[in-house]
Amino acid sequence: MERSADYKAAGGKLVRIRLREEAGQIRSVKITGDFFLIPEESIGKLEKMLEDTPLREQELRLLVDRFYRATQAQGAGVTSEDFVKAILATREE
Amino acid sequence: MNLAMEEAIPRVVGEGKAPSTVRFWHNSNTIVIGCFQSAKLEVNMEACKETGTEIVRRFTGGGAVYHDSGNLNYAISLRKGHRLVPDGNLQSVFQRLSEGAVEGLRKLGVKAEFQPVNDIQVDGKKVSGAAGSIRWNSIFHHGCILVGSDLSILGRVLNVPRAKLEDKHVASVQKRVTTVRDELGRDISTREVRDAIVDGIESCYGVRVDSGVLMKEEVGLAEELYQTKYSRLEWNLER
Repeated sequence: MERSADYKAAGGKLVRIRLREEAGQIRSVKITGDFFLIPEESIGKLEKMLEDTPLREQELRLLVDRFYRATQAQGAGVTSEDFVKAILATREE
Repeated sequence: MNLAMEEAIPRVVGEGKAPSTVRFWHNSNTIVIGCFQSAKLEVNMEACKETGTEIVRRFTGGGAVYHDSGNLNYAISLRKGHRLVPDGNLQSVFQRLSEGAVEGLRKLGVKAEFQPVNDIQVDGKKVSGAAGSIRWNSIFHHGCILVGSDLSILGRVLNVPRAKLEDKHVASVQKRVTTVRDELGRDISTREVRDAIVDGIESCYGVRVDSGVLMKEEVGLAEELYQTKYSRLEWNLER
């Protein structure tokens, strides 16, 4: 099932999620938007890490936190929590 | 080629082969999208065709901006650890390296203020947006200043998502931006604004800006980046 959400972070930036879900798990995901994240190519790593993750808050939070620790990624206008909320918002739309 | 040059300069500055650099430039009708953006979602392709607007992706994040000859772009490249932004924090880069442009605009009589995350605003309307990165052993910050841009085209070629406008209480992108010309109530050239920004940078940071030409390494690398990346549809449109 294709799911999507446009989520506005508290910093004002937009995180746009387009994902494919099967049996409650993310099969593939694309994260786009006008946020800042360095190193820039780390977004591909986050998308890859999210594959086969349950579309559930606890698992997503653990995974996104692990991504930040592993890559030392730094954002501006967006936080790790924003990515979690943006992905969860696809369940509502 | 301009976007290829934006990448080439910080790379060469980071290698220590070029000094700290401020570059000014402008494009004819172009939409420049951020590196994380989806061209399909952000850009009205039909309107781009009708208005002869090109679409190019930059290597930095942030939102789509519309460039035309009434738009002035500036880019600051420093070596990592530079005294102006020693902490290596991207938000500090935006704030600190926007101050020179803010100061320059104020010298012209525009009541400009930095607005986090990355904007310069006048009475709540955006007159300039910035983007940047910290990589290749360099700190890079670039911004575009709406000097006398055609805001009617801007409103047509950009798809601004509803979520983006909701908290601004305005109905369109056109109503939440302004130009230096409109703020001053007179025609002003990009050259005059450039000179004011140079003044602002010199007084704000206590530096002297000398004019110069690009180095052979910078031009060569920009040409290579243009051929392999910035002229290609897969870089510009796919994401």
